[in-house]
Amino acid sequence: MRIELLYYPECPSHERALELLRDALALEGIDAPIEVIRIDTQQQAEQYRFVGSPTIRIDGREVQPQPHLPYRLTCRAFLHEDGRLSPLPSLATLRAALRNTHPEGGDEDGNRSIGI
Amino acid sequence: MEIGQSAYDFELPGVDGKTYSLKDFADKPVLVLFFWCNHCPYVKAYEDRVIQLANEFKDRVAFVAINSNDPTQYPEDSFENMKRIAQEKAYPFPYLFDETQAVARAYKASRTPEFFVFDEERDLKYHGRFDDNWEHPNQVRHEYVRDAIRSLLENDIPHVSHVPPIGCTIKWKH
Repeated sequence: MRIELLYYPECPSHERALELLRDALALEGIDAPIEVIRIDTQQQAEQYRFVGSPTIRIDGREVQPQPHLPYRLTCRAFLHEDGRLSPLPSLATLRAALRNTHPEGGDEDGNRSIGI
Repeated sequence: MEIGQSAYDFELPGVDGKTYSLKDFADKPVLVLFFWCNHCPYVKAYEDRVIQLANEFKDRVAFVAINSNDPTQYPEDSFENMKRIAQEKAYPFPYLFDETQAVARAYKASRTPEFFVFDEERDLKYHGRFDDNWEHPNQVRHEYVRDAIRSLLENDIPHVSHVPPIGCTIKWKH
């Protein structure tokens, strides 16, 4: 399993995002390294298809795809189960994304696109 | 902007069609000016808390939101979207557009959200973040802006004058 966390250092959410991602991996019983990638320039944002910080991909798939957003250096919002917008994905979203990719996981309906 | 400095005046359009400057808030003993935008998730995390505080102190405190982000790079932060969001959320404060970004530069603002609390003389008494927990409203221990307002309304000096703001960077024009 390939797990990537891409972040823009000016957005303060990445450290907490990394903690959450580690928590989700532990809860799902998955032992896999996290590849942490720092994005500093617009050129890198385009190269890495980075729509905001943090961007988390499991086997190349966004944990909460937002395909309508341009590639850019900013924080991104995640929609939580209770309807809130947050700078971080929820633990449930991360766990669902891991399950959906994991060989023993379920279907692929866990991702939702949001419009902001 | 340093604690003790006077508020810079401005003339900015609001989403309600009016133009605002400092004199429009002169009847309130406390002014809370804050840099805001539409797209930043930290703004979204604080939106309901700020609305609640503004409503709570509406008789004695002027709240003023300013969006200085470049909407050509961040279309969500356009004036039209400011109007839409202010209406949807029933903002109880003016929401102003700093198109030239001159006001953000004058205040040396760097983030959204970022709060500046001024006393009756319009001298800066608190600068920084809203409270100490953007993630969990029910786990907040220090409400910096609320505490500063209370102190100033009691003719006291806020115990905390500066806590670095947390949020998105202001999106400057290139």
